[in-house]
Amino acid sequence: MTGPARFLVRVAAMASKEVTHIRRDPRTLYMALAMPVVMLLIFGFGVSFDMDRIPLVVLDGDRSVASRSLVRAVSAGHEFAIAADSDEATALCMIRRGQALAALAIPTGYERHLSAGRDGEVQLIVDGADGVVANQILAKIDGLVRAESLRRIDLGAEPPLQVKVFTLFNPEARSALFMVPGLAVYLLAIAAVLLTALTVSGEWERGSMEQLFASPVGRLEIVLGKLLPYLGLGMLQLLLVVAVGAVIFDVPIRGSAPLLFFVGFLFLVGMLGQGLFISVVARSQLVATQAGALSSLLPSLLLSGMLVPIENMPRILQALSAVIPARYFVHALRGIMLKGSGLSILWTDLVALTVFALIILALATARFRRRLA
Amino acid sequence: MREPSIEAVHLSRRFGSFQAVNDVSFSVARGEIFGYLGANGAGKSSTIRMLCGLLAPTDGEARVAGFDVKAEPESVKASIGYMSQKFSLYLDLPVRANIEFFGGAYGLSGPSFAARADEVLRLCDLEHEGDAITGSLPGGIRQRLALGCAILHQPAVLFLDEPTAGVDPVSRRHFWRFIRSLAREDSTIFVTTHYLDEAEYCGRIGLMVDGRLVALDTPAALKRRYVPGRVLAVRGHNLASAATSLRRRPGIIAVEPFGAGLHLQVAADDWNADSVAHALTSAGAQAVQVEAGEPTLEDVFLAVVARPREAHAQ
Amino acid sequence: MIARPRWSVQLRAVVRKEVRQTVRDRRIMFMLIVAPLLQTVVFGFAVDFQFDRVPTLVVDHDASAQSRQHIRRLLADGTLRDAGRTSELHEVERRLQTGDTAAALILPAGLARALAAQRPAEVQVILDGGDPNRAVVVAGAAARYFGETAEAMVKERLALHGITPPPLIRATPRIWFNPTLKTPPYMIPGVMTILLVITTTLVTAMGLAREREMGTLEQVLVTPIRPLFLLVGKMTPFLVIGCFDVLLVLTAGVWIFGVPLHGSLLLVATGTVLYVLSTLGIGLLISTVSRTQQQAFLAGFLFAMPAILLSGVMTPIRAMPLWLQVVTFFNPVRYYVEVLRAVLLKGAGLHDIWWRLLALLGFGVALLTIASLRFHKRVA
Repeated sequence: MTGPARFLVRVAAMASKEVTHIRRDPRTLYMALAMPVVMLLIFGFGVSFDMDRIPLVVLDGDRSVASRSLVRAVSAGHEFAIAADSDEATALCMIRRGQALAALAIPTGYERHLSAGRDGEVQLIVDGADGVVANQILAKIDGLVRAESLRRIDLGAEPPLQVKVFTLFNPEARSALFMVPGLAVYLLAIAAVLLTALTVSGEWERGSMEQLFASPVGRLEIVLGKLLPYLGLGMLQLLLVVAVGAVIFDVPIRGSAPLLFFVGFLFLVGMLGQGLFISVVARSQLVATQAGALSSLLPSLLLSGMLVPIENMPRILQALSAVIPARYFVHALRGIMLKGSGLSILWTDLVALTVFALIILALATARFRRRLA
Repeated sequence: MREPSIEAVHLSRRFGSFQAVNDVSFSVARGEIFGYLGANGAGKSSTIRMLCGLLAPTDGEARVAGFDVKAEPESVKASIGYMSQKFSLYLDLPVRANIEFFGGAYGLSGPSFAARADEVLRLCDLEHEGDAITGSLPGGIRQRLALGCAILHQPAVLFLDEPTAGVDPVSRRHFWRFIRSLAREDSTIFVTTHYLDEAEYCGRIGLMVDGRLVALDTPAALKRRYVPGRVLAVRGHNLASAATSLRRRPGIIAVEPFGAGLHLQVAADDWNADSVAHALTSAGAQAVQVEAGEPTLEDVFLAVVARPREAHAQ
Repeated sequence: MIARPRWSVQLRAVVRKEVRQTVRDRRIMFMLIVAPLLQTVVFGFAVDFQFDRVPTLVVDHDASAQSRQHIRRLLADGTLRDAGRTSELHEVERRLQTGDTAAALILPAGLARALAAQRPAEVQVILDGGDPNRAVVVAGAAARYFGETAEAMVKERLALHGITPPPLIRATPRIWFNPTLKTPPYMIPGVMTILLVITTTLVTAMGLAREREMGTLEQVLVTPIRPLFLLVGKMTPFLVIGCFDVLLVLTAGVWIFGVPLHGSLLLVATGTVLYVLSTLGIGLLISTVSRTQQQAFLAGFLFAMPAILLSGVMTPIRAMPLWLQVVTFFNPVRYYVEVLRAVLLKGAGLHDIWWRLLALLGFGVALLTIASLRFHKRVA
């Protein structure tokens, strides 16, 4: 048998042994298949910025036809719900308790001012403690008040200057389209790293790794043989997760599906490699699991652009995120799913993922050698 | 007549469908050194756990130091010391910290405890290791610490589960000397071991096979009962095949490999050293030397545990 | 010595041992002291929900003085950042696709002339809707600017005709508690919450499981120590360290990020202790049912992840569907972060948050009770 053929045979042998292990360990299968899907379902619904019926306190100091008209305009739709009609002290109390998030303060003399031809001044009070939401609320109330203002005026003709807004890729501004691809990447990253950390270091502890070293199986063959079955599992996970996203959360796949899976494949190789590397370096299964989880938890959450855009971060962290594979996959996944981006746009992501995968696999293989000798 | 220190009455324990301990009854007197032998998985550890109040019996009763293990496990625990098979003190703490912790666990404190702690360290020959990290000590020394922690509160009963496993022969000697001194001071010792030479130190020995107590007596009585024949020790060459042919002969009770040679049990009336030597030589053995031997507990063990199993298998 | 051992002696022995072991374990000390500071700094700087300098591509087909003025004014307040000019629509498409730019402003040819001739004109804004939060901000900025401009124009024209311009409604934003809408005051309480749940839950979960794995548990079970003391002993060092961590992070938050301290620190302390009791309770509960440290770690981790993501730390609870909102009522993480934000940022008092403290207390007691009941003294 020639060299390469022998190589393949050994890799195949390692891989099929690993498959047997996996089949016998239901925990691994659960972790691989069930957990990401279950979590995606929960988080897909739970992690969102779309608020509806925001509780608003009305501070109507005027109690006039005009003021009531304004209040109606603001609360007519589904964006806001009137939580109370009271005074500022109550508003403060309610906002402190989280029972309301904003208040509309209409001062006494509002209608009188308007009748006299002077501008009516109202105040939009917003709970600044919830920074994420404050912007949304301000924009929404502002828009509603402005609309009411224009309605009152009856310009007769069209307004002189209008803005037409086209929202590409997510016209209904649903959080899900933004969050679900990010969550998918996050969950895949964690599952992949945990999987390999769990299983490989288990072999170290049981001593069966030493057994392998006594045989003519080479390091690279071991690494590849271990990687392949989990790669298969990972691709299955990816499929499941994308399917859940599409079916349950209506996240489209506007771009090329094969490209999606190819990028996913590169990403998984990198993450599984990371788990492998950790478990090669770690002295025990426990340490490997901890290191794996913690090293994939924070970076994938914060620095991947999943939750907060990377441009918003200081330079150092932006630079740091350049070595996090999750960042590239989030960008690519969102690109393919939402924007229909193709290879011409995403090739940088592909290259980055490939480079990471190669480096981490090389590190893992090299580190193996030191443990032997 | 003093109340027995340990009393088991139809003690049983089932795990699912597996009967680990099956209707075991015995009693151990105060100050006795009681040995408990059996193959791995015979039920020794489960028995000890029940007697320590760690495991609830599924049937039967037991009283230790006058307390019922099912009804008053806390009182049982306060009156016993336990040294487990696997080393189970805190490896990351210094020796003294382990002593202080277990002393505190038994409610010991104050100057009287400080004095007792020093005394125990001295008794266990650990005076100079007080600040050493337990994990850094070799196995034999760790065992001494484990024993020391078990006797801090001067318990009436001491349970030792394979206390000398992996310990060198000299240390084992010291260990047993210490055990016997404790027994002389009226502590009851319940010990399991695989070192059958140590088992000779015991006053009485119980033998467990597959969850049942199949034998209980003094070592001498056990030998008389289970090794009834003459015991011969054989040395020579090509013994293996000769032994096989010898086994089938009438009056040959047992032929066991022993070291490089054989241990034989023969009916005293039918065979003696010379006839055996003759038989072996004619079967192909060479340079045969046969000597009279003493029955050992290993012979007893094999007779009780191993051979019935082989017979069963056949 | 067969007399009943004094409980105070036993308790002291257990706590002393736990403290000794914890202090000796360098890995734990790292995780409990260095990691919090690291996380605070990273979270504090990394997470910024405020959108400004959003890259905006400008397509100025008009190229007049007015169009240039409008562009300058729109970009003036910093919400939008000039990402370049182009005249090709497909360039706009391309750059929105790559994510290079998040918005495009298109001013049509003849804009200035139309406005001068009092003919209605329209500008277009194309947004990358991929990030709806950002899209809202950009749309809002454009709407505000052009809306105000339109209003001003109307007023001018009407004034020219001698007509008094009809009054408008002016809305002034008043932002309570965090006027500049900085993110750190919002995030740092979140960091404290996350930190506590990860360190206390995970570490205590593994503590008992570790003793079980190492075999020391059996030796302790054979002594007359009451099971409750074992659990209390396990909790004690982490209660102290947890509170210390909170102090550490809060100090760092105040010094580095300017987190306000509007409310009573005593309330913060009380809330912290009650929260830590809950998280410790969860950790202990997990440890009583885990056979190995690894199982304990995974269980703790798989609890912590959803507990954090569904607690209002990162995203608002109001944005969750009703059934999930109900679930969060059983999440102690939710209550603590609400208490922290209410007290630190909004100056809330006891009468504002008492029921949350009560909930935390209830959880703590319930979890600890269940944990100690589950903890079999007999190794069965």
